Amino acid sequence: MFMGIYRVIFFSAFLCFSSSIYSHNPEDFVIAEIERGQMNFENEQIAAEYGAALKRQRMRRLAAMPFLKKFYIFTKAGFEHIIPQGLDHILFVLGLFFSCRAFRSLLLQVTAFTVAHSITLVIAAQGLVQMRGDIVEAIIALSIVWIAIENCIYKEVSKFRYFVVFAFGLLHGLGFATLLSQYGLPKDNFISLLLAFNIGVELGQLAVLILAFLLVRYILRKNWYSNEIKIPASLMIAAVGLFWFIERVF
Amino acid sequence: MRGDNNNDTDNKKIAAQIAKLRAERAQIMGYKTHAHFVLEENMLKSPEEVYELLIQLWKPAVKRANVEVADMQAVANAEGQNFDIAAWDWWHYSEKVRKEKYDLDESLIKPYLSLDNVLKGVFNTTNKLWGLTFTEIFDLDLYHPDARIWKVSDKDGSHLGIFIGDYFTRSNKRGGAWMSSFKGQSNLDGMERPIVVNVCNFPAPVGDNPALLSFDNVVTLFHEFGHAMHGTLTNVKYGSMAGTSGPRDFIELPSQLLEHWASEPEVLKSFATHYETGEPIPDELIEKLLNASKFNQGFINTEYLAASLLDMDWHTISADEDLKDANKFELESMKKVGLIGEIAPRYRTTYFAHIFSGGYSSGYYSYVHAAVLDSDAFEAFKEVGDVFDKDLASKLRATIYSKGSTEEAMDLFVQFRGRKASIEPLLKVRGLDGSE
Repeated sequence: MFMGIYRVIFFSAFLCFSSSIYSHNPEDFVIAEIERGQMNFENEQIAAEYGAALKRQRMRRLAAMPFLKKFYIFTKAGFEHIIPQGLDHILFVLGLFFSCRAFRSLLLQVTAFTVAHSITLVIAAQGLVQMRGDIVEAIIALSIVWIAIENCIYKEVSKFRYFVVFAFGLLHGLGFATLLSQYGLPKDNFISLLLAFNIGVELGQLAVLILAFLLVRYILRKNWYSNEIKIPASLMIAAVGLFWFIERVF
Repeated sequence: MRGDNNNDTDNKKIAAQIAKLRAERAQIMGYKTHAHFVLEENMLKSPEEVYELLIQLWKPAVKRANVEVADMQAVANAEGQNFDIAAWDWWHYSEKVRKEKYDLDESLIKPYLSLDNVLKGVFNTTNKLWGLTFTEIFDLDLYHPDARIWKVSDKDGSHLGIFIGDYFTRSNKRGGAWMSSFKGQSNLDGMERPIVVNVCNFPAPVGDNPALLSFDNVVTLFHEFGHAMHGTLTNVKYGSMAGTSGPRDFIELPSQLLEHWASEPEVLKSFATHYETGEPIPDELIEKLLNASKFNQGFINTEYLAASLLDMDWHTISADEDLKDANKFELESMKKVGLIGEIAPRYRTTYFAHIFSGGYSSGYYSYVHAAVLDSDAFEAFKEVGDVFDKDLASKLRATIYSKGSTEEAMDLFVQFRGRKASIEPLLKVRGLDGSE
């Protein structure tokens, strides 16, 4: 009975994810936060001008704020970039979650991912590294497919897995940095607000893992967990990732 | 020539007809000419006063234009050309003179003129003059995220008004620069303070860099801010007489007057600091900047004054005047005043939209009239040797900036200056006083 319910949950989750793919646009995120409503623009140039103006307004408002408020705003922005905006990051973290039942292995993978994306986030935010956003986004989608397929093939986590996760983490960091640069980072508090954003991302990630654990904690040790939960869930994650990859490449 | 091609859109007959109908209307209402009818409400009350002003300025302008022709002729001769400079040579050769004598590299100046610094400069100017303070409000959403809003407080901290600045160009925004009021001022039913807006079209910054203005932009910003101050410092009982409701030949005085502070080296140095290094603008750059503003002034003033005189001539005809050919009328009008062949009026009759459709009939002179007033008003500060002289500043506020149209504009000016305006300061500012 459990199996049936979980299949339905995952299937509906899959539908939700597919339908909200189109809202995964950092520009919308920035506009939505300030305007709290749908904006329609006559053309792309006007939309781009409006986006740039919103960023300037945000920077002016930030400059006039006390530090703690700024810190809170960037932590919130980081968190929101995972929940609810960062569906691809959620899926990646879920991919990690379904890879193993051992807490230690999961902790190591998540740590590798966190360290890696923090490194590239800092480097890219300072403008030292730049990569085309569409390429990064496409490879991020592919990384989700990779992780999920690996979950189906291997019973337990392989040794190379940590390096693979670390490498993908580097890419995800570039993705965060692209968004952050559109969000705008005040020069005066550059490092501390970058840290705040990262803290927000980690909190979001942690929330995803805790929620996932709460959902499956009673069935985690069942012998049908692998065949009925881990593999179907991973396959669905892979399918969504593949869909995103195709969408982002073509 | 626009509107002068003997086709469907030819304006020669239409212009003459408009002028005659206007004259007829004026006579029916008991005025001698259309100009008499229009000028009744202005600072200059009769065509005679307008002609007197224009002719006074005309002579030095043409004199300067002749010097400019000579400069260009010298360049042409040096190039081995064997012809006399004509109207169609002007832009080509004046550009060569400009490069030689008045050259200014805008890209060297812009880094000193970030929008934030210029705003600080203009706010600080009104603070030193009248003790105003501007506090930006961040928790209000306006019609566009580039529009910024400030609360304006008086010397004693009391509320004066709200100022909105919308400075960057957008592809769906009307071009140009203007001031307007969202809400006027009135003391009829309690204290109603105004909400005014300045709209400009400065280029938006690229990426995360600050917006850097040209010096022309800075002058425009101060100009519109002058209108905004006229709309903010106003303190009258009836809303219809508040702020910028004065006559046309007065209304540019509060705006153009503020421009003078932007060009004052002492003021310029206080706000024009480099956006990266914080260094104030070097003296030699200021000198070049101010020198460049005197380039081609003979031409600019002559073509403008010619158009103003043409405007007056068209509107001082009588209803029964025999008008056959608008071009012949224009030619005679220009011959009478002695326009040199190298220069045409800024607008020829057939495309002079200001006066035939734009509401500036017998009013095109008002630009230079306001310029005479603002140059002479600023001269008052120069005479006391302090551009922020407290007494003069509060007198300026009490007469020019706060009265709206509750008194005769000429009386307001005389109250401030103690006499009517002299043209000498303007001639000096524009380099028409023979010193160039």
